[in-house]
Amino acid sequence: MNIVVTIKQVADPNIPPSHIQLDPSGKRIVSPFGIPPVMNGYDANALEEALRLKEKHGGKVTALGLGDDSSRESLKRAIAMGADTAMLINDPDLLNADSAGVGRALAAAIRKIGSFDLILCGRQASDTDGGQVLHWLAEALDVAAVTPVAKIESDDGKQLTVHRLVEEGYQRLRVELPALLGVSSEINEPRFPPMRGTMAAGRAMIPGWKASDLGLQPSAAKVELRNLQIQLRTSKAELIAGSSPAEQGTALADKLHELGFI
Amino acid sequence: MAGVLVFGDVIGGALAPASLEVATAGAALAAALGEPLLGALVGDNLKSAAEQFRGGFSSLYLVEGKHYRPYTAQASLAAAQAVIAACAPSVVLFCHTPETREWVPRLAARLDTGLVTDCTVLSVEGKDLVVNKPVYGGGVMGEFVVRGTPRLATVRAAIFEACAASAAAQTIAVDVPVPAPGKVTLIDQVEAAATAGPKLKDAKIIVSGGRGLGGKDNWHFIEETATALGAAVGCSRPVADSGWVPSSHQVGLSGTCVTPDLYVAVGISGAVQHLAGISAAKTVVAINNDAEADIFTRANYGVVGDCREVLPAFAARVKQLRSS
Ligand SMILES: Cc1cc2nc3c(=O)[nH]c(=O)nc-3n(C[C@H](O)[C@H](O)[C@H](O)COP(=O)(O)OP(=O)(O)OC[C@H]3O[C@@H](n4cnc5c(N)ncnc54)[C@H](O)[C@@H]3O)c2cc1C
Ligand SMILES: Nc1ncnc2c1ncn2[C@@H]1O[C@H](COP(=O)(O)O)[C@@H](O)[C@H]1O
Repeated sequence: MNIVVTIKQVADPNIPPSHIQLDPSGKRIVSPFGIPPVMNGYDANALEEALRLKEKHGGKVTALGLGDDSSRESLKRAIAMGADTAMLINDPDLLNADSAGVGRALAAAIRKIGSFDLILCGRQASDTDGGQVLHWLAEALDVAAVTPVAKIESDDGKQLTVHRLVEEGYQRLRVELPALLGVSSEINEPRFPPMRGTMAAGRAMIPGWKASDLGLQPSAAKVELRNLQIQLRTSKAELIAGSSPAEQGTALADKLHELGFI
Repeated sequence: MAGVLVFGDVIGGALAPASLEVATAGAALAAALGEPLLGALVGDNLKSAAEQFRGGFSSLYLVEGKHYRPYTAQASLAAAQAVIAACAPSVVLFCHTPETREWVPRLAARLDTGLVTDCTVLSVEGKDLVVNKPVYGGGVMGEFVVRGTPRLATVRAAIFEACAASAAAQTIAVDVPVPAPGKVTLIDQVEAAATAGPKLKDAKIIVSGGRGLGGKDNWHFIEETATALGAAVGCSRPVADSGWVPSSHQVGLSGTCVTPDLYVAVGISGAVQHLAGISAAKTVVAINNDAEADIFTRANYGVVGDCREVLPAFAARVKQLRSS
């Protein structure tokens, strides 16, 4: 099974708003000193799932990213985890592309890579919280897409049975390959790169592609970011005192009673 | 033609209340653009939902068919495309739901037009749609200009007030053929095991537990407290990911947005992605053994202490107060 996994490098989502920094344009989050960017969490889940499918069926796992040169780090991590190859689309003209632009660039790169059975993406990127790129990619490649996927129940190389999360449970769907899935975090726990993987990543060459290598025509953005504003919270809760945790618990109940909740 | 088209959300035959909030957002845009406000519903049997979707629409489009329930992306896409073709709106709004998160981006790609998901503020400047949307989990607000025909947005729940009820001037049935079987087939829909107590989404009181509970074995503390309060049970993402409870209980950005009067967060650190789901909670109480935890900047009341010791006494006192 040949699987392409899309990997976005993002500012660490655990940075609290008080430590987030914007670049001078005010349109981009920069990682504060000492907190390196990371592989988008759901993309790590997608990669882990791809590696498990490969271990079962054989085939090849390709990691594909679009970003600046520093995003090679996340693609190297993908190789360290077990991806066979990785490519980066690192054209400065594409760095500010909207979801449509990113999705189409990824699609063009996948066409250049060749045939695939399955594309695994994250359900959303933790910087945009958009959940869009995977659908623009699927539409450009004219494949079915299902998201958010919490489990691959069975697979036989031609079709998969997947669990798609709904509000009160999940849908079981049969998906004919080739197809694209948006992967959610319930699906697995991404592995830590093994030692030999880290060595392979050190040796790996990650080609960089430009829009012209992919035959991409510039297109007008449909969604334009005007500015970002950091949301700070400064308020502080009124603390319920007590000489022991049990007393605090009782006092809390009395407080909620007083407020009319009980 | 022109207009602002609002898709309502139909759950099990009834109109989801968030639909009326999106109608409010749509009405403001329609007034600013000087264009008519239009409504649309897609579902199995729309009789009662159509009566409830009283957004003062100049036309309410209805697409009915057995195959819309349970939801599939293919069917929703085909229905929405047909309605959009019928009325050629300039702006289309949707509720931000687990379903629209899947099919509306695909619709945008198919129509090759601009979409922003999970918007909290919407306005127009000239013909442009300008929206705010929380990004980076909610720690940052982004302002975006949306272009294309039509311009699309999904709207976060519990931000706008429900619109004042007024009936549609006319309803228009749109006939959409059942889509040919595609590459994705629904086998069945598995409901999460019904839990006692109210449903998370509509609950007035929610007791929500996080990783601070320390393990599945301690989850009974949350359940007992919820039972004492007559509350629904919520959880943070690591709790759902570790399988302590089904992910239908997850509150937050990638879970459910809740709207309780009282939200009790136990052993939850207060990551922005969690707080994104409780922005509409009226009163928040936090129980956490770390006085520096971020949850205390959102909570109105807090207890700094070990939840395993605080909760039993709390639940016991709640029972006492409720029975007296
Ligand atoms: C794209 C994305 C989407 C996400 N979506 C969601 C989402 O929808 N919902 C969500 O919740 N998270 C979400 N997250 C994860 C989020 O970033 C946090 O990792 C998560 O909310 C942390 O869960 P927690 O508070 O339970 O655990 P932790 O952050 O580990 O916090 C545990 C807390 O428990 C306290 N504690 C420890 N022991 C005790 C004790 N004995 N008594 C009392 N307190 C104790 C600790 O002081 C700590 O504050 C998302 C992340 C990303 C990147
Ligand atoms: N620049 C990128 N490089 C690689 N993959 C991406 C990129 N942007 C988005 N994706 C993929 O698309 C998913 C959804 O992204 P988004 O629409 O931004 O939420 C992510 O989880 C990634 O798998």
